[in-house]
Amino acid sequence: MSMADVAAGKTGTRWRSRAGDRRSTRTLRLRTSVALLALTVLAVLLVPPLVRLDQQAVDLAAKLQAPTWAHPFGTDDVGRDLLLRCVYGLRVSLLVGVAAALTATVVGTAVGAAAGALGGWVDRSVMRVVDALSSVPHLLMGIFIVAMFRPGVWPVVASVALTHWLSTARIVRAEVLSLRARPHIDAAVSGGASRWRVTVRHLLPGVLPQAALAAVLMVPHAMWHESALSFLGLGLPTHTASLGNLVQEARGSLLAGHWWPTLFPGLFIIVPTLAVAGLAGAWRERINPRRRSELML
Amino acid sequence: MTERAPVLSVRGLSVRFLMPGGHRVAAVTDAHFDVAPGECLALIGESGCGKSVLASALLGLLPGNAQTAGRALLGDLDLLDADERTFARTVRGRLIGLVPQSPAAHLTPVRTIRAHLEETVAELTEVRGRTALREAAEAAAGRAAFPVTHLDRHPHELSGGLAQRAATALALVGDAPLLLADEPTTGLDRDLVDRTVDELRRHVDQGGSRALLMITHDLAAAERIADRVAVMYAGRIVELADAAAFFGAAGPRHPYSRGLLDALPDRAFAPIPGLPPELGALPEGCAFAARCDRASDACAALPPLRGTVACHHPHAVLTEAADRA
Amino acid sequence: MLELRSITAGYDRKVPVFRDVSLSVAPGQAVGLLGPSGCGKSTLARVAALLHRPDSGTLLLDGTPVRRWRHRAPRDRRTAVGVVFQQARLSADPRLTLADLVAEPLRATGRREEAAGRVAELAGAVGLTTDLLTRRPHEVSDGQLQRACLARALVLRPRWLVCDEMTAMLDASTTAALVRVVEDYRAATGAGLLAVGHDRVLLDRWCDRTVEWASLVPPAATTS
Repeated sequence: MSMADVAAGKTGTRWRSRAGDRRSTRTLRLRTSVALLALTVLAVLLVPPLVRLDQQAVDLAAKLQAPTWAHPFGTDDVGRDLLLRCVYGLRVSLLVGVAAALTATVVGTAVGAAAGALGGWVDRSVMRVVDALSSVPHLLMGIFIVAMFRPGVWPVVASVALTHWLSTARIVRAEVLSLRARPHIDAAVSGGASRWRVTVRHLLPGVLPQAALAAVLMVPHAMWHESALSFLGLGLPTHTASLGNLVQEARGSLLAGHWWPTLFPGLFIIVPTLAVAGLAGAWRERINPRRRSELML
Repeated sequence: MTERAPVLSVRGLSVRFLMPGGHRVAAVTDAHFDVAPGECLALIGESGCGKSVLASALLGLLPGNAQTAGRALLGDLDLLDADERTFARTVRGRLIGLVPQSPAAHLTPVRTIRAHLEETVAELTEVRGRTALREAAEAAAGRAAFPVTHLDRHPHELSGGLAQRAATALALVGDAPLLLADEPTTGLDRDLVDRTVDELRRHVDQGGSRALLMITHDLAAAERIADRVAVMYAGRIVELADAAAFFGAAGPRHPYSRGLLDALPDRAFAPIPGLPPELGALPEGCAFAARCDRASDACAALPPLRGTVACHHPHAVLTEAADRA
Repeated sequence: MLELRSITAGYDRKVPVFRDVSLSVAPGQAVGLLGPSGCGKSTLARVAALLHRPDSGTLLLDGTPVRRWRHRAPRDRRTAVGVVFQQARLSADPRLTLADLVAEPLRATGRREEAAGRVAELAGAVGLTTDLLTRRPHEVSDGQLQRACLARALVLRPRWLVCDEMTAMLDASTTAALVRVVEDYRAATGAGLLAVGHDRVLLDRWCDRTVEWASLVPPAATTS
């Protein structure tokens, strides 16, 4: 029994909490995000082996059917099952998104950390290059990059990664600069740490949560980018079911009043995006230094 | 104590934090004190003793894992029962003016002091209209001796002393009956400490019905302006004494308070041996016994606050004065 | 000797924080530097600790002028000066436990095997319990953290100590305790001390001599 309980017993008062509503909405958002993401991942992993249907199977007799129990998402203009197409599309889009986000984060973190830790002319020239590259619209530069290769998954990954490391580099550099000015870096220098040790042991671990957060937030961004490229016909080959390709193919039928071939792939782009953003938001609140300690000593 | 009703009356205030794993931390335990109109009560103790938690409890700023017990009556309002809405609309600024620890961090860097003051005046008073607001803001600045010529500056363009005055001016706008100063002198030079606390004292004296609760680890600042002193150790108030006697010839009665004063560089400059206990693992008896040279078997039981001191072996009243005589 | 000769330093070459400041500390001597906040005394302390390159002037460390600063300074010169800063919370890496914090300079200088013994020894000296050593900075109070920071500054046995407002945030008892640790260390090793602060009573009690910042700044510099 702690002293607090003794005191409470003696004064005969009850304990009261002032836990706010903020906490419960935060939990709700976190749970919804996790549930949606789990659903997405399960769908991507389980549906293809379980269903054993051919997503490419054409059935012209059943073309452009509205959603039914047999085809919950309906069929497209050559009678392919849209649920299956969407799941396969999501697989491709997620692969592209995750691969591109990881590449961009690794490149951005390395460049940003080097610029921030070395400082001086290295920092100035690197950041001028970053500024110059940032001034070109992402999509335009992405189009240039994919146009140099044959359509496929990896050119799209490269296109997204090479246009998106810039923001990570900026974030990481700014974090490194703000950490570098802190006395604990001075203390490390004074304790005999080499420049390498200061960067690797004291600066990088401090920026990793931010970099990881940027990476997670970049996954949906990269998926959008892939969809946009594919929609423009520049991304993945048209026979590959990607979400962008699906929306692109369905454009024609939308004008004819067939809503399902665009709606469901669209939802498949939006839902995982929101789930990842929600998760990242909750994470950001966790790593926010202001609520590092729940105990106010 | 005066016959007038106290501004703030704290009865059995306790705060505990529920930590992951069902662990409990008793940050404040069974605090009783009053602050009367025109009075300055200094709450002193070392960092981590629970004094900032107590201030947060009074301002409704405890984190979600905190639980409270007891009462803290400000007029008819029990601050421990009030919800966030009440705190936002009627308490902060209106009933309690907060003088913050680091004014530079408390002020918005991109806005001028005038903008801060005008916004606060519009929020807390009935004053409306551009010119009226402007005049009211200047009057508020004047009350805290903030020079009107510096009103259009941004917080980073002010010296530490002026930033502290700006923060004090903001705290005074709502004409709150209780001023709560949370470590108002941390990191300030001695001269500036003296000026800052003197000004706080002046606001209490001028207000007449206003009271000041100053939370500080700066004993010299407390000595300068406090009427009464509450010493907090390991979450409990162990001594609640008249400031003149506490800092004067009589000296404090609790061995911990005595140790704190003896640690001052103009006194013995001798630290109290050992460290304060963990608030999460307090001993059953007196929390100071392990560091106390007067400890005995009796200290295994918790000493209640009797008279001015919670100790089984307090220093006698006026021993030192008697020794000297 | 730790000798600062007509140092001009700041963060922008065009507007130095101070010009032409000279100050010396003899081996074994304790010098208090007293000045108001924002006067530049912390910058001078950083120069003395080889952490900030002055715009002009010379720092003589044990008779040899310092030509390289921060990482570029040879390791044995950097580590000859131990530093303690005002804000313990900012000067501790939030991810390290207090034991790792104290041992970090030993690990950084390739003396890993000494770490356990030296940490235990210093923890005893500064009054940290074994339980506290396993915690991270956010789990301890300011006073406990500053004890660890002082232990870290002493772990490489520096010949010089620079304490920049070491006790400004601390209560009287912790202040007295940390000053005692510094003085015990100096008595045992003969290290010199530059203690920067704004509390005259404290510095007068602590140091052999106390210097006013205003007396260090040549009159010409104030007109600029």
